This record gives sequence, C-alpha cells and structure tokens, in this order.
Amino acid sequence: MSRNLVELVRRHHAEQAPTALDVLKAAIDDRGEISDEDRRLAAERSGLPEAAVYGVSTFYDDLLAPRGARHVRVCTGTACFAASGDAHVEALRDGLGVGLGERGADGAVSLAETVCLGFCHAAPAVRDGDVVDAGPGVVERVLAGATRSAPEPDWVSLLEEPVLTRQADFSGLARALAQLSPERLLAEIEAAEVRGRGGAGFPAGVKWRFARAAPGEQKFVVANGDEGDPGSYIDKQLMERGSELLVEGLALAGYAVGAAHGFVLTRSEYPRSKPALEAAVARARADGWLGADIRGSGFAFDVTVLEGAGSYVVGEETALLACLQGLRGTVSARPPFPAERGLFGMPTVVNNVETLCNVPFVARAGADAYRALSPGATPGSKLVCFNERFARPGVYEVRFGTPVRELCEDVAGGLRDGRAIKAVQIGGPLAGILPASLLETPFDFEPLAAVGCMLGHGSILAFDERTRMRDVARHLLRFGAHESCGKCFPCRIGLQRAHAMFQGEEPVDRARLEELLEALELGSLCAHGGGMPAPIRSLLEHFPDELGLA
Amino acid sequence: MTRVAVDGVEVEVAPGATVLDAARAAGRWVPTLCFDARQDPFGACRVCLVGAAGADRPIPACTTPARDGLAVDTTDATARRVARAVVELVLSELPQAPAPHTELAQVAERLGVGEPRWPGETHAPRPADTPHPYLAFRHELCISCGRCVRACDELQGTFALTATGRGFHANVAAGLDQGFRESACVACGACADTCPTGAIDEVSLLSPPPAALERPAEVSSSDTRAGRSPAIDGGSG
Repeated sequence: MSRNLVELVRRHHAEQAPTALDVLKAAIDDRGEISDEDRRLAAERSGLPEAAVYGVSTFYDDLLAPRGARHVRVCTGTACFAASGDAHVEALRDGLGVGLGERGADGAVSLAETVCLGFCHAAPAVRDGDVVDAGPGVVERVLAGATRSAPEPDWVSLLEEPVLTRQADFSGLARALAQLSPERLLAEIEAAEVRGRGGAGFPAGVKWRFARAAPGEQKFVVANGDEGDPGSYIDKQLMERGSELLVEGLALAGYAVGAAHGFVLTRSEYPRSKPALEAAVARARADGWLGADIRGSGFAFDVTVLEGAGSYVVGEETALLACLQGLRGTVSARPPFPAERGLFGMPTVVNNVETLCNVPFVARAGADAYRALSPGATPGSKLVCFNERFARPGVYEVRFGTPVRELCEDVAGGLRDGRAIKAVQIGGPLAGILPASLLETPFDFEPLAAVGCMLGHGSILAFDERTRMRDVARHLLRFGAHESCGKCFPCRIGLQRAHAMFQGEEPVDRARLEELLEALELGSLCAHGGGMPAPIRSLLEHFPDELGLA
Repeated sequence: MTRVAVDGVEVEVAPGATVLDAARAAGRWVPTLCFDARQDPFGACRVCLVGAAGADRPIPACTTPARDGLAVDTTDATARRVARAVVELVLSELPQAPAPHTELAQVAERLGVGEPRWPGETHAPRPADTPHPYLAFRHELCISCGRCVRACDELQGTFALTATGRGFHANVAAGLDQGFRESACVACGACADTCPTGAIDEVSLLSPPPAALERPAEVSSSDTRAGRSPAIDGGSG
C-alpha cells in the first residue's frame, strides 16, 4: 500500500473528507455509471490523485457493471451453484434479455453477477434493487416483477448459554470498565485462547498485544465484516441480528489495545448490514456505551460503519484496510503488519466479526468459563451455517470438536428429499473438499487440516450425488480467477490458466496442473492464490475419475 | 548488525535489511521482476523465492526481513521451480516475447525459461497512447509489477500512474487512462527507466516508437485522422 497515498487519505480523513470509493459508489448509485467527471470529483473531494481514483474505479465489482433503472444482481456463489448448476443465471439472462454485466439498450434493466448474497440457506438468490429474493421460483418471480424479500435463516444455539447467538447487554463492557484494567482484559483474552474465526485461526490476544505495544499516537480496531466466502452467512447474521454484540466486542478490543475508534467494514452484497449496525451504534451512543466518556469510566470510544464495493480479496486484512481508506483493495506484503502500520499508517487490530463477538462473553464470564464451552477442543463456541441442500439449513452455535457427520445429519437434518451427501466443502472456497467417507472428522481447526480441509469461517456446503466434480472445479476456479486482486503474479495469471484448463471438456494434463498448483501454493502473496489449490487437490485425491484428467 | 548465511557465505547487513539485501551483499544472484532498489519492496512477482533453513517452504527474499542466524539457499530447488513456473506464466500473458534487452527477457533466459507452454488469453494490444513527446505505452507488454506506479509515487511524487483492473486484466494507466499527455505526468522518465518489459518506453521526437512498426492492422485501418502517425495516436482505447 502506498505510504504516500495512505498519508493523503489520513490528512483528508481528519478533515472529514469522504473516501474516493464512497464518492464513486454514490455516483454509480445515482447515475448508473461512472464518468470521468465523477472520477475528477472523487479526486477533488477525497484528496486522492486522479490516477489513483481511476485505479479504484476499475477495481470493485460494484463500480464496473452499468446499472439500468432496474438493476438485477444474480448470485453465482457456490450454494447457488450447488442448488441449480448455473441454470438460474441462464434463465435470468434469457428472461431479462440482457447479458451479465450489461444494461439493455433502453436503460430499463441491467444484470450483474454477484458473489455472494448470503442467502445460501435458500439458494439460488437474486437481488432486485435492494430486495433479495431466494429459493424455488425466484427467477419466475423476478421476471414477473414480483420479487419478494426472502426469509432470514434460523439462528439457533445448541449451547445452554449462548455466547454468540444472543442479544448484547453490554455486561462484558460494564465489567471490564469497572473491574479490569486494559492489561488484565488482554491477559484474559490470551488465557481464553480466542482464535480468529475468519479462517486463519490466529490468536486474537497475540494481535492485540502486538498493537498495544506498538508505538503510535492513535490506534484503531477494525471489524472485518467482509464475509466473502460463498456459502457463508454467519457474519451477515451477526451484523444484522447481533449488531450490539459486535459493537460491544469492538469497544472491548479498543479498551484493551488503547484505541479510541473502531471501524466495521460490511459488504455491499449485504444491503441490510450497514443500516442494522448504524442503528446499533446509535442505540449504544444513546445508552452511553459509546462516546467520549463511557459510563463515567474515562474510556472514549466510537464506531464508524463503512461498506465495501464487491471484492472477495478485501477480506484479507491488508486489502481490507486499503478498501476502508477508499483505495484499490489489493493485498500488501507483510511486514509491516497492520498491528504496526495499519489504518492511516497507525497500529491497527483487524479481527473478524465473529471473533469480536466472542469477546463480551470472555470479558463478563472469564477465560475459564470460555474454555469450558468446548471441552478438549478449541476454546469457545463456533457458528456454523449450512446450504440449501440440507433439510434444516440455518446458523447454529455449536461446540468445537463435534463430528461433521453429527452437524450434517443431527443438526441440519441431512439432505432434503432423501438425497445423499457426495462431498462437503467446509470453510469457503479456499478449503479442501471432504468426501462423504470422511464425515466423522471432528469440526475443529487441526482435525480438518489433517485431512486437507479447513475450518475456515465455518460454512458447511454440501454437494449432492448429482453434482459433477469437474463442474465444481470449474466453478471454484472461475471464482478464484475473477476475484484475484491482480497483485501477485502466480495468482493473477495462474488462476486464469487453471480455470482455462477446466473450461470445455478437453482433458486436463495432470502434471501441468500440479505444477501450477504448486506455484500458486508456494508463490502466492496471500491466502487467495495460496488457498485456491486446496479444493482442487481434494478433488484430485478423492474424485480423480470425474475430472477428465489426461 | 544482522548476520545471515547466504549459500554458506556469512554476511553482515544493517538492521532493517531484507534477505534480498543479504543475498546481494553476498554477491549471489536472486531473480527479481517487481523489485527496484530505489523503491519500497512490493512482493508481487514472487520470483525472488529462496530456501530458508528450518522453513517448510521458500520465502520471498525482497519482503522478508533478515534476522540473525538465518541461513538461506538462493538455489533451492523448490524455490527455483516455482520461480520458473511464475516466469513462464508471465511470458504467457504477453502477445509476443519481450525484447532481448529487457529485464524480463534476461531473467527468463538466466532461469532457463523458454517459450511459454500455456495456451490461452494474452493481453490484447490496444491503440497506442495519445502522443507524448518522450513516453509511450504498450499496455499489452505490462506485467503489473507496479514499478512504474511506485516510481511515479515514491521517486517523483507526481502520482500520474495507477494500477488498473483486477486479476488477469490488471494493467497500468496514466491519469484517467487517456495517456501520459492528458495526465499529471512531468516527463521525468522514471517509469520508463524502471519498466522491466518495455511496456513504458522512452521515445524520441525524431523517431517513431517501436509500436509504430508493429501496430495491429485493424487499429491502423480505423485511424482516420490524417497527418498524424497512427502509432502515437488513438486515445485510450
């Protein structure tokens, strides 16, 4: 990330200037496309150079597809793929008479692709304006102009005392401010061994301590709500249903590391998230849980909610910080780590939304109570969500270490219509694929890693016996190539080549493919290029006969 | 000082130095494409991978801080295999081989990477940039190493260049992509100086840029403005 551009952003932010991305988003919202005049205005208002604004305007999905009076976005996420192949995409394209990324000649309607709308429990999903419809009949309803809002998923705790699926009461923050020093709260988080829930499982306490110790006149905490994994809608529910819990978690993180301001980056694919969070922030301010002197403690903390613009890689922390600052959402090499040089060049903690939602429980009940939640496994509880293939899809709060089969069969009720699980992908597109024969694997970081899979963010996405695994490979690699931020060479070119290998029905040269997978795994700058080979490796191991290998 | 062993040779480097600095101090060659010693390390090309004792995978030399006691192997077989694979991928995105004098061609030759075996899409030639007396773009030769953008940002302080697009279609642009002349460019030439492929090149007022000679026929035929060389005309495409 350019240090000069970050400094320009910092100076203009201090004067309440909007980011270039915000100005560009407003332009396309208002006028359906972005002109050079809009770019010049964005440069002027944000303080960024014109060229940098141009770069931003060519990066994010939301800024690229022209919009008609009616803008329809079709979800091409993996749950929608598992539900319909890509039949829903073709039907919409044919029915609306416009191609993907196009606007009809009369400007009445436009169609764009989006990944993913987070309605994986009722796939396929389509967004018509700001209304998301999903499930059987969605295409017919959209074509008939009868789009209706899809129901939100079930939200269930299997624990006697829920940690995550509950309404915040700010008792954790109250206890911390009254009884715990920042150092003591940090020690409690370390003792609780809270691991990051965004995918990597990195200990939150280590990040916090690093940022707390880093020199800096200002520090920031950031909630990563860019839940881009197709098939996952956990953070969506936390941001929309558990908004206060996230605000409480952010305030606690700020208290522990010495930050007076927190940011949440939500996804534009989740149009309900930003308003829900902003309402929660306003309530917390009104109740005295945010502000200049929280409940007379002397601790000052406030929260700003910002929204992304369509990019999977922005879920990576350095790319997320670039997006927050209105810059191109590309990955930066670490070091420097955000805890040392992050938002506006200041020490910054970036934690996943779910990670932060664990913090209020630890602050209130202590590390021992937290560790007791999942005996013999990773401390705490985990949210898990299921795709529409299951009989009872939804978000469930479960104990770590529960066998995947128990989650799939007892919790989610197995597949609908008596269908059989062929394989499940747990934890997003960068995770290995678990064949039905390995469903006894415990749902936890290490056991899943041992079978070439990962816990990731906790989505469980089933493919039934009708899914052809070559189509899965093509689907995933198409996503991977489209979402590559374009910074590092292996990912930028390699995923395009890997996707091309699976297009059409030409045999895939296995030796060439494995050479490419190695370059991606060992060469890529971030987990996107580094992780995309994982599901392909699983398919090579468990379903080689379906891949059309040569 | 930090002591690092590079291919068995002990070197001392200043605090804050990278593994690449150490390798160069030891006189060892590490291939690089996105690196320019005048700029902050970028870590994009991933061809500077080296082996490190105790590490389960190669490490990027340009962005890894040197630390005391580190032992690196600049000829590590896995690192070299990945570097070759990456350079082959890079060659495969260009519609033609890079000119022999360019850094890319020289790195490819030294690594023994020949004709790329990847079929498929290459960067499409686009109409040449609007005329600028000293600088010319050939976007199809851009490998998105970011050196020109950083030269303009970190060395010149002009911010006339940006990375554009995403994924395979990433590239660079001046200003609002209407070419150097319409941008904030001050013609310092730092971008052309650092470009490893000739995608940005210096031209002379007296001789047409190479683009003139190799310009695709369909572009030339669509250019109807008389009196100007089609090679250095045509706008942003």
